[in-house]
This record gives sequence, C-alpha cells and structure tokens, in this order.
Amino acid sequence: MPTNLVINGEDRISTRGSMTPLIDVLRDEFFLTGAKVACREGICGACTVHLDGRPVVSCLVPLATVEGRDVRTVESLAAAGEPSPLQQIMEEHDVVQCGMCFPGILMVLTSFFQERPHAERDDIKAALVGNICRCTGYERLVDAAAALARRS
Amino acid sequence: MPASTGERLYVATSLADAVAALADRGPAGAPLAGATWIMRAPIRREELRSSYVGIGGIAELRSVEMTDDEIHIGACVTHADLIAALAGVEGCDGLVAAAGGAANPAVRQMATVGGNLCTSDFPASDLSPALLCLDASVELRTPSGQERVPLGRLLDIRRTLEPGTLVTGVVIARKPVQTGHSRLPLRKAGDYPVAIVSMAVALGSDGLIEDIKVAVGSVEASARRWPQLEAQLLGHPLDPAKAYELAKAGVGVFAGRESVEAPGWYRVQVLPTLVRRAAQAALAARQQR
Ligand SMILES: Cc1cc2nc3c(=O)[nH]c(=O)nc-3n(C[C@H](O)[C@H](O)[C@H](O)COP(=O)(O)OP(=O)(O)OC[C@H]3O[C@@H](n4cnc5c(N)ncnc54)[C@H](O)[C@@H]3O)c2cc1C
Ligand code: FES
Ligand code: FES
Repeated sequence: MPTNLVINGEDRISTRGSMTPLIDVLRDEFFLTGAKVACREGICGACTVHLDGRPVVSCLVPLATVEGRDVRTVESLAAAGEPSPLQQIMEEHDVVQCGMCFPGILMVLTSFFQERPHAERDDIKAALVGNICRCTGYERLVDAAAALARRS
Repeated sequence: MPASTGERLYVATSLADAVAALADRGPAGAPLAGATWIMRAPIRREELRSSYVGIGGIAELRSVEMTDDEIHIGACVTHADLIAALAGVEGCDGLVAAAGGAANPAVRQMATVGGNLCTSDFPASDLSPALLCLDASVELRTPSGQERVPLGRLLDIRRTLEPGTLVTGVVIARKPVQTGHSRLPLRKAGDYPVAIVSMAVALGSDGLIEDIKVAVGSVEASARRWPQLEAQLLGHPLDPAKAYELAKAGVGVFAGRESVEAPGWYRVQVLPTLVRRAAQAALAARQQR
C-alpha cells in the first residue's frame, strides 16, 4: 500500500514496503541525501530528521508509521536558499570536517534552540549526546552553538 | 484490517482496531510501538516477524492522567512525553530520571513505556526498576478481556503472554515517597547501563524509614526488587553511607549476567555505589520540597 507523507512541505507518495526505514525512503526514493545512514541502530544520530517537529532517528522509523505526517530533513533548513542562523554560525566557526555527522547535528540543534534559545554550554553538550562525530570535531561545534545562544 | 492483505505492518487506528488486528494475526503478529527495538532486529541478526500491528499513534494509549490517588500512564507514552508530564510531581523524581537518562534525546522521542517494559530480551530497561519500586501495576488487554497485574508479574510472564496481548497502561498509586534512580553507563549515551538501582522511600516525621523499595536493573536478565536490603534499611534513618555498607555485604544475592559490554562480577560489584547514589538522590528529592 503506498504511503502518503509530507516531506519538506511537499506531498509525496512512497511505494516502498511498510517496514522500510524512513532514511532509505528519503535517500533512495526521493534522493534527499542530506540525512546520512551510518549505524542503523539509533546511536550515531547521523540520520536525524524532524517528524511532526520533533527530532527522531530515521533509521528506526518504519515507513508506514509516517502516513500523513510531516517530515523535515536538513535540506529544509536553507529552504529559501539562505542558510539558517545555525548553519551560518557553523560556517563562521569552520565546524565541519568530513560532514557525515553534521546534518543530524543541525536537526537536533535546530529543535533544541527552538525550546532553549539561551542554552548554556553544558546543556548544548547534553543535547548532543546522541550525535557521534567520528572526526571528533566537538569543541568547535559546541563553541559555535554556544556563540549562537549568546547572540539570540 | 485483516492479515490477508499482506502488509507486514498494519497501523491501527484505535485500541479496538489493534486488539482485533492482533487477534487476526495470532502468533505470527506482534505489536509495534516506538519500533526502536524491533527495527534493530537485523543488527541483532534476528528475523523480523511476518506481521506487526502499529500501536504508537493510538490516542487512547498516549496520555498521562493524574488523580489524587493514581497516575495512569498510557502504554504508548514516549520517554520524552513521560518526562514532560511528570517532571516535578511528588514521588516521580526517580521515574523522570530513569526516562531522562535512557538512550539519547531522539530515541526518547520514540521509545515508549510499554515497549520498554515488554522487550523481554532487553535486561537494561531503566523504567522497569524505577516502576518496580513505585509498586506499579500493568493493564493487559487480550481478545478475551482485560486484567491488571503487578509489574513484577509482567516481567516474569512477558515471554509467554498469550498472542495478541497488549499492555495498555501502567498505574502507580500516589504515595508520599521520595525516589531516586542511579545508573552506570560506560559512555555518556548510546550504550546501555551496566547496572541500575532505583529506590523509593517513605520517611516518618521522626526521620526513620517507614517503607522502602529498592529495585535493581541490568544486572540480571530482568529487573527485580532487593527485599533483603529493604528489610535491613526499614526502621532506620536513610543514611547513604550505611546503605552502601549493607549493600556491599549483601550483593551476593545477585548473579551478574555476562555480556561483551561488561562481565557479570563487575555489574554486581558496582551495586553498593549505585545504592548510595540512589539514596542520595532520594534524600535530595525530599529536600527540594
Ligand atoms: C541507541 C539506543 C540506546 C538505548 N538505551 C536505553 C537505555 O539506556 N535504557 C533503556 O531503558 N532503554 C534504552 N533504549 C530503548 C530500548 O532498548 C528499547 O529499544 C525500547 O525501550 C523499546 O521501546 P519501543 O516502544 O521502541 O518498542 P518496540 O520496538 O515497538 O517493541 C519492542 C517489543 O515490545 C513489544 N511491545 C511494544 N509495545 C507493546 C505493548 N504495548 N504491549 C505488548 N507488547 C508491546 C513489541 O512487540 C516488541 O516485542 C535504547 C534504544 C536505543 C536505540
Ligand atoms: S544511522 Fe540512524 S542513528 Fe546512526
Ligand atoms: S565531521 Fe566527520 S563525523 Fe563529524
């Protein structure tokens, strides 16, 4: 049975099987390759997207459970062609190394800052415990996020 | 929807629909709530079942309701929703700490209370010991009716439940207790805790323990209470250092499970320290009020 979902504001229909992980639908069917797939077990956070506004690891979301729901991927952050303030500050601080972890980190921090715009450094670190950066670029990443919190 | 349509995952729209769909599938089917355990089957080199009934979106199973006497937690309440509903509620500090320490923020948005308690191959559940020491009961729904059983009983029988059985909710009686939850992961997140201790204490006006429940998780295959330690602590002041000493002398009642993450002896050896920390957390919960 096809699954109807709204991805980055657009109605989409997926024909994949009901237990297909959402990450595979996003990447292989709709070519939204921003979200990465690494561990497939909820540990690394590289596949994080927003489902109805909340961050989830899309490797563990079966397609059929997304019927009629709102999915946002990292591609939606610069929808008007202009990077979001979070993306801009990450660029200013030259945070990205290989970039594998980065889309997930942006999605987690985007929703975190919606709730906690003035968060402290320790809270930012706690918010990121589910995002593993194999290049270990945590220091600049947290510096950049803390700078954004100070600015807002 | 009948199983004959061939979809591997049928997403139920109501509790009645889920009960009927599960009955239709019999032993071949199983509930799917947050899916965070089921979707990792390939990593564990396990086969997926031929049929699942999705229950995570059923509104009747997603609310937390509080009266003066009871707290009712729907089976499909996520860890994140549980924290939001119970933060600051008397007696729930340990449970909130359990939900907030488990997994990572994105998984906490997905994994449910019912899924956490029903995963029989998962020894490291944080909610099990936290709810055991709150004397929680579990509501079960089968095609033939419904019943309420103590959580400890569910943990004993969960492998052999009649096919089609759903946990629909968890019920906690509201009592004037202070609770603490202490866990030892080896990393900040992502790995399971090596051992867990939860504690619920009722202190009399004289400062002596009138009632105490201690539960241990992740050390053995299922969480369970520690009645010997409870008996020794009863009637005394809650002194974390004394609790540590008593726990150290009595840990022999646990047989730690072996796994690649930690040897069995280590899981047992850390218990006294976790008892002390759980006692400190329970005392701090009292002092906040
Ligand atoms: C990276 C990671 C780290 C984690 N760390 C921790 C941790 O530290 N502590 C912790 O406690 N948890 C942790 N978890 C969560 C835990 O391992 C399970 O994945 C989770 O609790 C399962 O809940 P679920 O709702 O996703 O269940 P599902 O995957 O949907 O189901 C799991 C099992 O329960 C059954 N089931 C589900 N709901 C019901 C119901 N209402 N009635 C009857 N049967 C039901 C299913 O049929 C299945 O057998 C972690 C998960 C991940 C991915
Ligand atoms: S690929 Fe999903 S959490 Fe690692
Ligand atoms: S930048 Fe390489 S994994 Fe984080």
